[in-house]
Amino acid sequence: MIADIFTVAWKELREMLMFGDSRGRNKLSLLVILAIFGVVIPLQNGRDWVTSPISAMVWAWMPYMWVYSVVADSFAGERERHTLEALLATRLSDRAILFGKLLAALAYGFTLTWAILLVSLVTINVAVRGEGLLLFSPLMTVGALVFSILVSGLAASIGVLVSLRASSVRQAQQWMSFGMLVLFLPFMFIQFIPEAWLESFGSALVNADPLQIAIWAAVVLLVIQSALLAVAMRLFQRSKLILD
Amino acid sequence: MNAIQTNQLSRSFGNLKAVDRLTLEVQRGTVFGFLGPNGSGKTTTIRLLLGLLDADDGQAQILGFDVREQADEVRARSGALLEHHGLYERLSAADNLDYYGRIWRMSKVERESRIRELLEPVGLYERRNEPIGRWSRGMKQKLAVARTLMHRPELVFLDEPTAGLDPVASAALREDLEMLASREGVTIFLTTHNLAEAEKLCNQVAVINHGQLLALGSPADLRSRTSAPRLYITGQGFSSQVIDGLRRNALVSNVQQRNGQVVTDLNDMARSHEIVAQLVGAGVQIDEVRKEKADLEDVFLRLVEEENRGEE
Repeated sequence: MIADIFTVAWKELREMLMFGDSRGRNKLSLLVILAIFGVVIPLQNGRDWVTSPISAMVWAWMPYMWVYSVVADSFAGERERHTLEALLATRLSDRAILFGKLLAALAYGFTLTWAILLVSLVTINVAVRGEGLLLFSPLMTVGALVFSILVSGLAASIGVLVSLRASSVRQAQQWMSFGMLVLFLPFMFIQFIPEAWLESFGSALVNADPLQIAIWAAVVLLVIQSALLAVAMRLFQRSKLILD
Repeated sequence: MNAIQTNQLSRSFGNLKAVDRLTLEVQRGTVFGFLGPNGSGKTTTIRLLLGLLDADDGQAQILGFDVREQADEVRARSGALLEHHGLYERLSAADNLDYYGRIWRMSKVERESRIRELLEPVGLYERRNEPIGRWSRGMKQKLAVARTLMHRPELVFLDEPTAGLDPVASAALREDLEMLASREGVTIFLTTHNLAEAEKLCNQVAVINHGQLLALGSPADLRSRTSAPRLYITGQGFSSQVIDGLRRNALVSNVQQRNGQVVTDLNDMARSHEIVAQLVGAGVQIDEVRKEKADLEDVFLRLVEEENRGEE
């Protein structure tokens, strides 16, 4: 089954990266993303990009955006382009197809995030040259590593689930955008929270052990991801997909 | 052992019986034609046989495996070209075939040689590295057929395989399919609207409409069982009285006028000279008389018409 998962993921990644479309628009959009997030934004933030925990929060959510942009295509795209039925008629098991698509989305989000982080590190070091080599702290590096995997996995699970149910890529993308909106909705209500509450929450955060916070966040993400995966596995039935 | 054996296989969608108590036997190494008008249940039948849909009732054994319990085994030994070609248009032709080769766990060397073997005869090998998005429908169809055969399946399901192919490519494909069945023992289950193709290619044909099997047998059997002998008469002077006179003749079961010809279905071909004598006696100037049995298309149309009348 592992080999089958890699086979499906190989095709997905090849479609995402190698050709994109015949005019190579996908490659161009990847370069634009790298330029904005690897050069422009780090230059605006300066040293803080490498040292501030706020930046770490930005990196942590970055994979969601990258995965979101490709995962909607996984099942909805295959259905729309009439390639799904041929795939379902092969010897591949349901799980190999499902996990192959998940793996591809996760790998895409993870790789792109790390490519951006590495480019940004070079950018910052060039910008502040003469101040010695600037690197992420070990804790931030591990956090970025763990969270880029977890957030990519979360986005991939949400995306596959949405893509399984959506009738078209456009609909899947709309649902994913809505999901993103829901994720960021709480931040819009921060202004309505009494200042005293915010202050006590802020001081609790400052005093808390960042490692512990990170571990709790990782556990919550893992639980949500497992639940989403369980639902996706339940929904992935050949006969249902053919009729949808 | 038969390649395909179904017993009272049924599947409904709401009130619509897409496949209705279908009982079929397809021998190994044969080309089996599954004929029926649009919406008659052909595609649903293929989906049921591949385990892509669950049957409501009945059983199906494919290559000795029960479709309900062992659909994975069935799919592992089959190849399918379904309603849509199902090719990845953003990938190259070679990548499309390579992907399916990987799915069937073929080694790299095996995949490469098989891609050459399949694409060279259809003139696509030199273009294998092009993304196929801008290819013509016929080229895509050739590639889709190649993909179906990539892993050398024991049983091949082909839904309208020559649709979109030019006559030369269609003939080449027919030859390949015949060879696959006769030399390699591959069983081919194909649906087609091209009845001349079915007649040339298939050892056995089944006619289906409204999910029900209307007839099953070799094309020759069906013609002789279902159709009357037929006279095609060309000439001048086929007035309405002459045609009415033919219709009243007890030897004649049906008369039609087509493209300046009178087509007469007879109950007894041995007495066709009586019809010619009647026409000459009525003043018709006859240029040509041709005796023939109805072709598969006539058989098909007649069966479907009869079934539709029965439904009403």
